[in-house]
Amino acid sequence: MESMESLFPVLESKFGVNRDARDKWGLTVVVSADNLHGLVEFLKNDSATQFDMLVDIAGIDYLGYRSALSEREHEGPRFAVKYNFKSMKNPGHRMSVKVLVSEDSLSVPTISDLFEIANWQEREVWDQYGIVFKGHPDLRRLLNHVEFVGHPLRKDYPQQKRQWLSTNDFLLPALEARLETLGYRVIERSKEVEPNPDEFLEGSIKE
Amino acid sequence: MNTEEKTGNFITTSLDFIVNWGRTNSLWPFPYGTACCAIEFMSTEVGRYDLSRIGSEYVRFTARQSDVLLVAGTITYKQAPILKRIYEQMAEPRWVIAMGACASSGGFYDCYCTVPGIDHIIPVDVYIGGCPSRPEAFFDAMFDLQNKIKDESYMKQRAERVKEQLEMIKAKTAEATANAKELAHEKVVDFRDYMAEKERKLAKKVQVWKE
Repeated sequence: MESMESLFPVLESKFGVNRDARDKWGLTVVVSADNLHGLVEFLKNDSATQFDMLVDIAGIDYLGYRSALSEREHEGPRFAVKYNFKSMKNPGHRMSVKVLVSEDSLSVPTISDLFEIANWQEREVWDQYGIVFKGHPDLRRLLNHVEFVGHPLRKDYPQQKRQWLSTNDFLLPALEARLETLGYRVIERSKEVEPNPDEFLEGSIKE
Repeated sequence: MNTEEKTGNFITTSLDFIVNWGRTNSLWPFPYGTACCAIEFMSTEVGRYDLSRIGSEYVRFTARQSDVLLVAGTITYKQAPILKRIYEQMAEPRWVIAMGACASSGGFYDCYCTVPGIDHIIPVDVYIGGCPSRPEAFFDAMFDLQNKIKDESYMKQRAERVKEQLEMIKAKTAEATANAKELAHEKVVDFRDYMAEKERKLAKKVQVWKE
């Protein structure tokens, strides 16, 4: 833990980070969105830190948030994105990086070029909170269905508002494209069959 | 002497009885397992509880060969169309068991993503409570389902279905006749117009010639 304490001044001088006082036992640094990519690259590659595992990316919505200790309203930007890192080379070393996101900009630079897993985790955060990751190769919904409107983990999303999906995903074209990039040859393109109830009587076999 | 000749190898019964007897004792489930209820179903299936005692040991992972759709677990809105399509692919007669709190009512997932009970999508025959349900409860549901099947009448259902199909065929025929009639009427009108046009032209020609 000693090296973790000595790490903070280095980060402060290099990237201008602040320490999150709410995290009493670990190290959480708050960094601006511009310096995020450089900071993560430094944490991953620098020989002293070597945080080579991205555990999780979490979105936070501070709307209506009240600290349990101070009983005051939350001040500052509404959203935040928190990255949890762990080092496999220096066992026991963990730290978090937090980026505050205002409601106007709603964007954070992607780190999916540094960590492969960040691709899906950023997709999840975008899906649930609507925070855009600039430079992400494929920012689609991950958990919710394609016809979903809104971002359900925001505090102002009505908790019990349910949204029906009309049809199931037709995933074969995506699969074929992926096979083609791997060098396979697609002999026959699959077409989606849309059942038409007018075309055949119930119980009969359609030709 | 052969024993078959002595006793005679035929039985007499009613069709409903024999059909229901066959259906009751070989209910092949399709396990649509999405959560912990599916684990309970596994323990129902094997050794200690042994679902094959009531003839349901064949778990079919295709909708075409199964009789009972066993929905065991939470169904989300993203999954709902898939479940519906699987139900539609099953051949009749088909039954549905909603196993556990989640499939019956959404359980404690009172949120944006969970369907509050699969009866919003497909008709359900038997509901089982529990989170997850005990294998005993599952057996109870199977016995309930068997009793329900014993009350069904194959001949009545068949008569209803034939009646429905007949009505549908009649409606289609009526529609087709109406279409044909309309088409024929249009053709007659067209022909009349054509003749009138020709007559007019002829009259014009005659006039020209006269002049």
